[in-house]
Amino acid sequence: MNSFFALSPLLIIVFASLLVLLLDVFLKKENKNYLAYISLIFLVICGFICIKFWDKNYSYFNGNLILDNLSLFFIFILALATGFVILLSMKYISFQDVNYGEFYALLLLALSGVAIMLSSSDLLIIFLGLEVLSICSYALAGLKRTDEKSSEAAIKYFLLGSFATAFLVYGLALLYGSSHSTNISSIINFFVTESDLSIMALIGLGLVIIGFGFKIAVVPFHMWTPDVYQGAPTPITAFFSVVPKAVGFIVFLRIFTPYWKNALNTQAIFWILWVICVLTMVVGNLVALRQTNLKRILAYSSIAHAGYLLIAILARDNSSLVFYLTVYLFMNIGAFAAVIALSRKGKEYLELEDYAGIGFKYPWIGVTFSIFLLSLAGFPPTGGFLAKFYVFSTAVRQDLLPLVIIGVLASLISVFYYLRIIVYMYMKEPAREIEIAIENPALFLVLFFCLYGVLQLGLYPRNILVLINQAISSFF
Amino acid sequence: MGYFLFFLLAALTVGAVLGMIISKNQAYNAIFLILAFACMGGLFALLEAPFIAVVQIIIYAGAIMVLFIFVVMMINVRSGIPAEKKKWTIYLSLVIAVVLIIELILSIKGAFTLPVSTAIIKAGPTDLGRLLFTKYLYHFEITSILIIAALVGAIVLVKKKEKE
Repeated sequence: MNSFFALSPLLIIVFASLLVLLLDVFLKKENKNYLAYISLIFLVICGFICIKFWDKNYSYFNGNLILDNLSLFFIFILALATGFVILLSMKYISFQDVNYGEFYALLLLALSGVAIMLSSSDLLIIFLGLEVLSICSYALAGLKRTDEKSSEAAIKYFLLGSFATAFLVYGLALLYGSSHSTNISSIINFFVTESDLSIMALIGLGLVIIGFGFKIAVVPFHMWTPDVYQGAPTPITAFFSVVPKAVGFIVFLRIFTPYWKNALNTQAIFWILWVICVLTMVVGNLVALRQTNLKRILAYSSIAHAGYLLIAILARDNSSLVFYLTVYLFMNIGAFAAVIALSRKGKEYLELEDYAGIGFKYPWIGVTFSIFLLSLAGFPPTGGFLAKFYVFSTAVRQDLLPLVIIGVLASLISVFYYLRIIVYMYMKEPAREIEIAIENPALFLVLFFCLYGVLQLGLYPRNILVLINQAISSFF
Repeated sequence: MGYFLFFLLAALTVGAVLGMIISKNQAYNAIFLILAFACMGGLFALLEAPFIAVVQIIIYAGAIMVLFIFVVMMINVRSGIPAEKKKWTIYLSLVIAVVLIIELILSIKGAFTLPVSTAIIKAGPTDLGRLLFTKYLYHFEITSILIIAALVGAIVLVKKKEKE
């Protein structure tokens, strides 16, 4: 249905960020928390609108903007993720000297880029949305201006991100040159009708995969990930590890669902993705074994998870992909929340040795962090287990047995480094005293929500699976 | 004539970009880049898009390059990558270059066999404006969000720190 209402989620997010920018001028430094509350209120409104618009299929601008259930589901989920990140940052930004009002404004602008990308099937618009998201991300990564590592992260992310963008744009140009359209369905139609496969279009598609491969951090385009994740302020790292990845995979879903189904010859692209997928799982997990910095471990773990998600793309199974992304959001943000909990004014504890004895000293943080880690490793009864189970079982049904075997072996390796953190927390004597600021209700709220999400999705996923199936079916 | 001009400008563009990469002096790099931008403006003019051609020259070759040259003059970086580290990158780039040359030859071969499109594309300022506010309205509006994001990001990274 053609309606102006289709713009409302995007408009609300942009309005919220502009309002935050405006109010920032009038607020004193100690009152910056109000900006967080305002952002949260607008995020709640945006989420409410997503629920209201369910099944309405609003569209605007000649179908350039389509709010189908899939985009609504993910705008809701990623607005939730942004809300979590804002809650996590409320204490953090005053502790770690990043207390700028623009912090929230940039987060919201990044979310608006996400909303743009999710609600369109035109690659040009997706590109513009990606740029909004990326430019906000570059600035957010460098917000800890007094910290060398943070500036390094910003520069690295900016250079490699622009490089990836160049690949993406070149790919888009080639696709446009061969199919005379930027719309995904017309581009896929070109692959259907063209009897002798055009090399130009194939290279274009390959370059688009590379461009998005940078954003979702798959091997061999993952080089920036550990440094950027380590240098960026920790709540922002949580944001990076979830949001761009989820959006990138949704774009992949929108491209590859019709591509697998209709294109004449999918072999070349299939095997390229297959190799990337195997490399991502193996390299991500193996390198994570040697890390001792918590943020770097989680960075490599997020690379490995991109590999498992690629299995879902290759197995042509959209619902398990969406379910995995949903679970991944809760468990990864939860894990980062636990990492953020171990900090006080001017100091963050990020080395593995700092975690010795945490489990007994701060039982709540210890228990929840352990559950998130077990979920990331894929133990029942957590959501992480079910997510992996769905992905692997559909892959077996699609005759991707070698991929599944590699995936299972890789996640066995991953058990080692996840459990090592738990072993440190419960079975090691603390080598040095650490002291953290325990009073942080917003953070504990996030821990609680993520714990609830991980367990709910692991024990009783029925409701959310019904929603996911509605979202997927609306997209065809 | 069209073909001749196209290949002349294309070769000049590629040559200028090559010169920009090879030359070690930053000022020369910038000037080579101006040449590349100017040639690209010529390419746009060949495609019957005079407005974009002019904009290309005014904005890129004019305004942005002046900024570049100012920055080069102010920062004055001299040191390049030490020679011994470069060796394996040279071999790697040789391989890539060979692949690119093959691709280029293939595409040139293809270009001669393609039928020349006879449809005249109108790309004057009026047509461009009309397109921007009809077919590409959403793209246009999103670009404004992009610019806000870039502005806010740049300002927050460089602004003076408030006193505690």
